[in-house]
Amino acid sequence: MRDEVPCDFPAGYDGAAILKRLARVLDPELDEPILDLGFVRSLQLRSGHAEVALRLPTSWCAVNFAYLMAEDVRDALLSIEGIGRVTVRLGDHCAAAEIEAAVNEGRPFAEAFPDEAAGSLEALRRTFLRKGFLGRQEQLLRELRAAGCTTEAICVLRLGEMSIEDDTMVIRRPGCAPVEIGPASVLRRYSERRAELALDCSPTAPLIVDLEGKPFSVDQLQGHYEAIRTVRVALEANGSFCRALLSVQHRDAAGAAGGHANTGGRHVPA
Amino acid sequence: MLPEPQEDTPIREEDMYQHDGHDIFVVDGHMHFWDANPENWKTKHGESWIKCFHAFHSGLSPAEEVWAFDKFCRYGEEVLVNDLFRTGYVDMAILNSTYLYEFYKNGFNTHQQNNVIKAKHPDRFLLCGSFDPRDEEAGFDPFRRMMAEYPISGLKLYTAEWRNGSRGWRLNDPWAYKYLTLAQELGIKNIHVHKGPTVYPLSADAFDVRDVDYAATDFPDLNFIVEHVGLPRLDDFCWIATQESNVYAGLSVAMAFVHLRPKYFGEIMANLLFWLGPDKLLFGSDYAIWSPKWLIDKFMAYQLPEDLKQEYHVDLTPEIKRRILGENAAHLYGIDIATQTAKLSRDGLGAAP
Repeated sequence: MRDEVPCDFPAGYDGAAILKRLARVLDPELDEPILDLGFVRSLQLRSGHAEVALRLPTSWCAVNFAYLMAEDVRDALLSIEGIGRVTVRLGDHCAAAEIEAAVNEGRPFAEAFPDEAAGSLEALRRTFLRKGFLGRQEQLLRELRAAGCTTEAICVLRLGEMSIEDDTMVIRRPGCAPVEIGPASVLRRYSERRAELALDCSPTAPLIVDLEGKPFSVDQLQGHYEAIRTVRVALEANGSFCRALLSVQHRDAAGAAGGHANTGGRHVPA
Repeated sequence: MLPEPQEDTPIREEDMYQHDGHDIFVVDGHMHFWDANPENWKTKHGESWIKCFHAFHSGLSPAEEVWAFDKFCRYGEEVLVNDLFRTGYVDMAILNSTYLYEFYKNGFNTHQQNNVIKAKHPDRFLLCGSFDPRDEEAGFDPFRRMMAEYPISGLKLYTAEWRNGSRGWRLNDPWAYKYLTLAQELGIKNIHVHKGPTVYPLSADAFDVRDVDYAATDFPDLNFIVEHVGLPRLDDFCWIATQESNVYAGLSVAMAFVHLRPKYFGEIMANLLFWLGPDKLLFGSDYAIWSPKWLIDKFMAYQLPEDLKQEYHVDLTPEIKRRILGENAAHLYGIDIATQTAKLSRDGLGAAP
């Protein structure tokens, strides 16, 4: 979907680099980039001022997550040289006015909703970073199991024994033939999130660890896999749900061009 | 398009859904008889709410089942009766009352509105009432009156409802416990709790299902049916449901994936069967967001993929589907299927021949 984002960059700006930075902003709840999800409707840049229109799957998408995404978009763009001001728009989201007013001035969530929000959203963000870690770990475990690794073998693997070769992840252990496991992206995503959570990423650290960085015994690993399998299914099912809802918006937006749309008025100029 | 309601459907003796020659007693565990006509919209939220529902409807229904927005706002009694009982295989349906007085002048689908249709077809519907713990003590008498004046079989609790500036409450709030105690004294056994896609701020996670855990532990004689299986918190829900023997899964919303995302539907079902087992899952359409006819047709035709069967060591056999479609709900509500079927065969609402 990211190819569809209408962008307007003046000369002198590296549009690809800006989009690449924006691609790192995730829907925390789905653990997927908002660009891939189609949540970015348009991006315009004039005289150092970036204007981003977001389009969430429904106007009732959870306000706290909407706020987190808007804030992350702003921070991502402000980190780019030459962008001094960012305006994020949320279209017809039910709390667009409050979120925009706060995010665009860099004010925290609790100030945007003084009667609702008990504190910051950091705990929520952390909960979902952790769920995302577990979901990514499940994908890694799934690949290892599919490649024939036994529970015993998985438990003793170290980070340094995993390498990326030609977009494939490979296990290289002294005295053993290399074992090709699966797409490199699975290992990259897992390692990135592991670092973000400040878990030990040294080459001698165990590959599969819990949220405190502790390894699993052979007896524990199967139960752990069964638990995080459900985390991954929940994340993917929700992404799927959001995409289905967004496709309705696309259809309606197309219909609105003909003068009639039967759901959701659009307030964001195309 | 769905068939138009038929005024003069002949009475049919055998009105149970059959699959491979087996009778299936169908209970739609989650459906609505709402009024979202523009005249009933109180604020812009009344409009955006029903538009959001219509987006769920259009986004996940097969193209030929999608209704125009106007019909979706207020479909009326005849359409409902037709879609559920005449063409939709449903034998009994549970009216999940939802109030939303801040968005709708007369409420969205209150137990009073729902009772209009229940009164006409008393054996076809189970009516849910509700309480709001934010009423505190002042709500006790109205709650008792509701229980006395309406044929209430269960409760539907909507913890995310807006109210005088409050954007929600939790099942383990002290006043919620007082209402649960009172409900139990008045004979309530089943509590449907909406834990699905919800809404407004709260820095806490608005989708959190952990309050169900507390209430289920502290009220072991009540059953808690978590509607929409806690989506988008399937993992948290499964964890709670394995800890608490009185927590059940209401499958509406999850059911709709059977059409557009059969692979995810299989994964969701595999997880639910793995953690909860086949006796704790209850079919629900969330009508009129989705219609039981196509949901049940696709559900009965659905085969759990081999890889999922092997990985999770579960299956979705016709026998298990039968439990999910009606037997589990009948058990929770103490309905004897043979007796009820005999009663229903006389009301002339069975499937068209």
